Amino acid sequence: MKKVLLIALSLILVLSMVGCGQKSDDGTYEIALITDKGNIDDKSFNQGAWEGVKAYAEEHKISHTYIKPEEASDAGYLAAIDLAVTGGAKIVVTPGFLFEVPIYEAQTKYPDVKFILLDGAPHTADYSTFETKENVASVMYSEEQSGYLAGYAAVKDGLTDLGFMGGMAVPAVQAFGYGYLQGAEAAAAELGLADGAIKVTYHYTGNFEENDTNKATARTMYQEGVQVIFACGGSVGKSVMSAASEAGAKVIGVDVDQRYDSETVITSATKGLSASVVQVLDAIYNDGWATYSGKTTYFNAANNGVGLPTAVIGDANGNAFDRFSTFDKAAYDAVFAKLADGSVAPIRTITVADASGVATADELTSALNLVKVAVTTR
Amino acid sequence: MQDNKKSSQKSGFDFRSITKTKGFSAFTAALLAIALGLIFGLIVMTLANPSKAMAGFRYVLVGGFSRFGDVLYFATPILMTGLAVGFAFKMGLFNIGASGQYTMGMFFALYVGFMVELPAGLHWIVAILAGMIGGMIWGFIPGIFKALLNVNEVITSIMFNYIGMYLVDMWVQGNATMYIASKSRTNYLPSTVQIPSLGVQGSNVNLGIIFAILIAVTLFIVLQKTTFGYELKATGYNKYAADYAGMKGKRNVVVTMIIAGGLAGLGGAFAILAPSAIAGSSMTYEPINIIAANGFNGIAVALLGSSNPIGIIFSAIFISHIQRGGSLANLVGFKPEIIDVVIAVIIYFSAFAMIMNSALAKFVKSKFGKKVEMANANAEPTTTNKEAK
Amino acid sequence: MENYIVEMLNITKEFPGIIANDNITLNLKKGEVHALLGENGAGKSTLMSVLFGLYQAEKGEIRKNGEVVKINNPNDANALGIGMVHQHFKLVEIFTVLENIILGVEPNKMGFIEKKEAKKKVIELSEKYGLAINPDALIENISVGMQQRVEILKMLYRENEILIFDEPTAVLTPQEIKELLKIMRGFAEEGKSILFITHKLNEIMEVADRCTVLRKGKYIGTVDVKTTTKEELSRMMVGRDISFSVDKEISKPGEVVLSVNNITVASKLHKNNAVKGVTFDVRAGEIVCLAGIEGNGQTEFVAALTGLEKMTEGSIRLCGKDITKSSIRERSISGMSHIPEDRHKHGLVLEYSLEENMVLQRYWESKFQNKGFIKFDAVREYSEGLIKQFDVRSGQGPITVVRSMSGGNQQKAIIAREIDKKHELLVAVQPTRGLDVGAIEYIHKQLVATRDAGKGVLLVSLELEEVMNVSDRILVMYEGEIVGELDPKTTTVQELGLYMSGAKRNTVKETNHAG
Repeated sequence: MKKVLLIALSLILVLSMVGCGQKSDDGTYEIALITDKGNIDDKSFNQGAWEGVKAYAEEHKISHTYIKPEEASDAGYLAAIDLAVTGGAKIVVTPGFLFEVPIYEAQTKYPDVKFILLDGAPHTADYSTFETKENVASVMYSEEQSGYLAGYAAVKDGLTDLGFMGGMAVPAVQAFGYGYLQGAEAAAAELGLADGAIKVTYHYTGNFEENDTNKATARTMYQEGVQVIFACGGSVGKSVMSAASEAGAKVIGVDVDQRYDSETVITSATKGLSASVVQVLDAIYNDGWATYSGKTTYFNAANNGVGLPTAVIGDANGNAFDRFSTFDKAAYDAVFAKLADGSVAPIRTITVADASGVATADELTSALNLVKVAVTTR
Repeated sequence: MQDNKKSSQKSGFDFRSITKTKGFSAFTAALLAIALGLIFGLIVMTLANPSKAMAGFRYVLVGGFSRFGDVLYFATPILMTGLAVGFAFKMGLFNIGASGQYTMGMFFALYVGFMVELPAGLHWIVAILAGMIGGMIWGFIPGIFKALLNVNEVITSIMFNYIGMYLVDMWVQGNATMYIASKSRTNYLPSTVQIPSLGVQGSNVNLGIIFAILIAVTLFIVLQKTTFGYELKATGYNKYAADYAGMKGKRNVVVTMIIAGGLAGLGGAFAILAPSAIAGSSMTYEPINIIAANGFNGIAVALLGSSNPIGIIFSAIFISHIQRGGSLANLVGFKPEIIDVVIAVIIYFSAFAMIMNSALAKFVKSKFGKKVEMANANAEPTTTNKEAK
Repeated sequence: MENYIVEMLNITKEFPGIIANDNITLNLKKGEVHALLGENGAGKSTLMSVLFGLYQAEKGEIRKNGEVVKINNPNDANALGIGMVHQHFKLVEIFTVLENIILGVEPNKMGFIEKKEAKKKVIELSEKYGLAINPDALIENISVGMQQRVEILKMLYRENEILIFDEPTAVLTPQEIKELLKIMRGFAEEGKSILFITHKLNEIMEVADRCTVLRKGKYIGTVDVKTTTKEELSRMMVGRDISFSVDKEISKPGEVVLSVNNITVASKLHKNNAVKGVTFDVRAGEIVCLAGIEGNGQTEFVAALTGLEKMTEGSIRLCGKDITKSSIRERSISGMSHIPEDRHKHGLVLEYSLEENMVLQRYWESKFQNKGFIKFDAVREYSEGLIKQFDVRSGQGPITVVRSMSGGNQQKAIIAREIDKKHELLVAVQPTRGLDVGAIEYIHKQLVATRDAGKGVLLVSLELEEVMNVSDRILVMYEGEIVGELDPKTTTVQELGLYMSGAKRNTVKETNHAG
């Protein structure tokens, strides 16, 4: 009896306390970011995009939040968007291609809400219809420019035996790889090296995993004399870093600054997630929405959308180029300026005979006009 | 006196199956545990954000009512894993392996979904059954280890969580039909293999919850009314007595683990085969080397439900309710991580209070146990008219 | 006014619905052994719990040395010099003997336990009172007898002068009982006052000065043990005459029911075999008693006989059928009933109701189930019949949770179940352990009735009196072997004791054949 009384009392207590709480609407927000399957601190798309949202919103005192979907499925993402809109969001930022299908649904459902979709374009689940409505900005990145900078920096730094390990030969990975080769070529030309002086071992792992096969491949490449591998395929990077630390060799990271993942990472070919989000937000608040509305915009060097890290995260005075031996900020700025003004325009796509998109050494050499660089595939 | 006794016995009999005093006290215990859990949740919310705590807490508490479809939808898998844990626990087996069994069930269902072509009305049913079989296999192995080699099922089933998860991830990634490497997730399942939706607007709630509740009721009947349930509970309460009574303990261990595995496997199948609110879309599985959380949530569900199948129905719905409400707390500005913490605090504190409850009862019994025995012993002469001959 | 050290005056203690102690008065003199006698559930333990501070009485008062005291908890009791050895020991299994003794009163210096001094004191005490212990042994590794000595030392270490023993002999072997009674006597002579809860009349006659009898929560009287008899005490306790001898006809053994041949069982405790080549027969219509001191292989033998454990060698025939390799269920179907040694461990599912326990061996029979569904009506009807027939008393009849029943009635339930089941052989292992005289008498009658119904009975017992009174033939087991076959009509307790202690042995069938 006592127990029942105790329960009743505590429930009444709890309920009455809740009753006292006034529903306040000041918890609502204007900008909402929906995370994908990962957390907000995933060192990848979620974190990069959130940093952009936070930087812009805090500067301009705009209310903002992020929402974690209850379920990592299209419907779950859409439900999270529903929640964000219910909470008053006027702008919804969705990082990653996993949101392509949910945004396709949401753009019709919420015509008054603006969506920023990073690294993807809205389409139906069966890929039959691609449509980006007026209230959606689809943001893509010129990976070839980022790859170009990485290849350029490596060769300029005196490295001559380079490696590339992509995941699957999907467009983004291909673009990174092609840019990497072209950057190496350009640097070799500037340095006046002989034809074929730069060797590049070019490889697609066929997956985005950290596994023993990938590690073994990386180890073999290092043993064959490769000095640095551009690890361009999600978790493939972990395998490469692990092999590199055993071999005492170097790695170039991808997507975000992977400096802290391993001591072996000399630089990273990044996409400017944060910068792109800031730019689109800025456009929205300054009547520039038309620039991005209803289409896919490529972010590149011109709008600071790609690049190598120029600052050390968490250390304002750190030198982001400290892991290079000679390559420095000045040299980087020079080449970056060329990309930005369009005087250098790396090739993003080439024609590849193979159905899965894996290019042969000949295809690469001829399509990318490689002279100083001798490519071997494996 | 005699008549009195008889009538009280009669009424006791009538209510017995529903409000057995034991079950009833478990119910009040669960309420108390929940109340405690909620209070702790409120404390955490107040610490995180004092001014919004009440508004946020109200969402946690009642927000789920506004999205009851989702409450049921998300309750489905944890109801099944809760049953998987609770049913085994009735026999004294601690099935920590619900996660692995769940993942295995998911894979088997996926396999049938992608690799087997069947007519629309049949496809999803076969996929569900395949999921059940997948889970059964993954329950059978710890069961047979326990029965034949006396290897502790906790250890084996934990190991099989990992083995199952890695195997499934490997199989999924190795299968080009199932897996889209560029998105590191499985393809969309054909609509023929998705479980029919219950048609609640804005929710994926589907026939799975109906099946899950029916299964729970069936298990309740099995436990209460059948010789198998009788043996199972006897073994759980006192395996020596079960041996003494000639029950086939080893066989029962294996059968129980198979059933438990099948239940978790069904949970995986129900989860992965759920329909999507978006045309052409579906649930997808991401082979990212993470053990399914729903398996572990099943432990909390089972604890809160006192391992009673009917109790588990309610505890699964309660936990889902709190989670759905918790998501809404976002509306007043609570960060997802804080909400996760609050929900975890409520769920696990409730479950913990439930354990403590029985520990407390044991403590009270050990300290004042004589009181109870004495009371009963003394009840004899007063309730029976049979004086010593 | 006599010189009483403790007076419990007009104590009334109620529990919901029951008056456990109804106006009870108990006076304890300094330096006496005062027995508290009563059947199970008479209120003895409640009364002692009131004295020890575990319960508070609603009415009445407690005086120590004439002054009214209030005892709210065991600490108060301790402060007054009252110590108690509980029926179920309160020891920390993973602590050593010494640690348990000093638990709660650890001598310390700046928070560090000073074990050395404590150990010295404990050893002194143990030598002084002949309480042999090893202070460094872990509780979980020592025998029940030694655990009890630890409990006694706990009281002595705290310098208690009023010692309460709650059924201390229930867990002991005859030798240990003898030893304990001697020690209790010693305490009394030293000036300590002993309260001795028991329902064993022999022990009272042997050790107690006075005896207070309770029955159903009421005070019956206090008598001087020297001037009373066992018969009178039992009449006070039970409220009627109890016969101590078992009335039975001379047995008429018939066909061989059980034939065990050369049974050998490996020991779990040591490398030697626990049972070594045991061979004997049990015939229909006779009670064969397997006597012996605890730990001489009886438990292992019964486990092998009933199928709970495997044996390494030998064969068993039941009613002519070889059941050596049969499962427990098959043995049961072949006609073996088994009243197990430990009713809580094997005999009952304590969480189950009485009726569920009544069909523990038979739930699978078509009488009680149909296509896997239990016929609860049939179970109810059957168990109500058994409850009536065997007078099993419980709070709520068939739906009583067995855990809440008294030991005697739990045992009755098992006996009802095993006797009512179709059987040719009844294996009864210590069926009267821990029970009061009324229940013992009843169980002995049931055993004889079973015999007279033409069944074979194999009784395993540690109680000499039971062995002598009930059996038709005695087989003495010593260190895993049958060392003698005796006829209870011609042998004496002394002779039996010699066999049991291994001092004497004969080859089987050298002495008189049974019956």
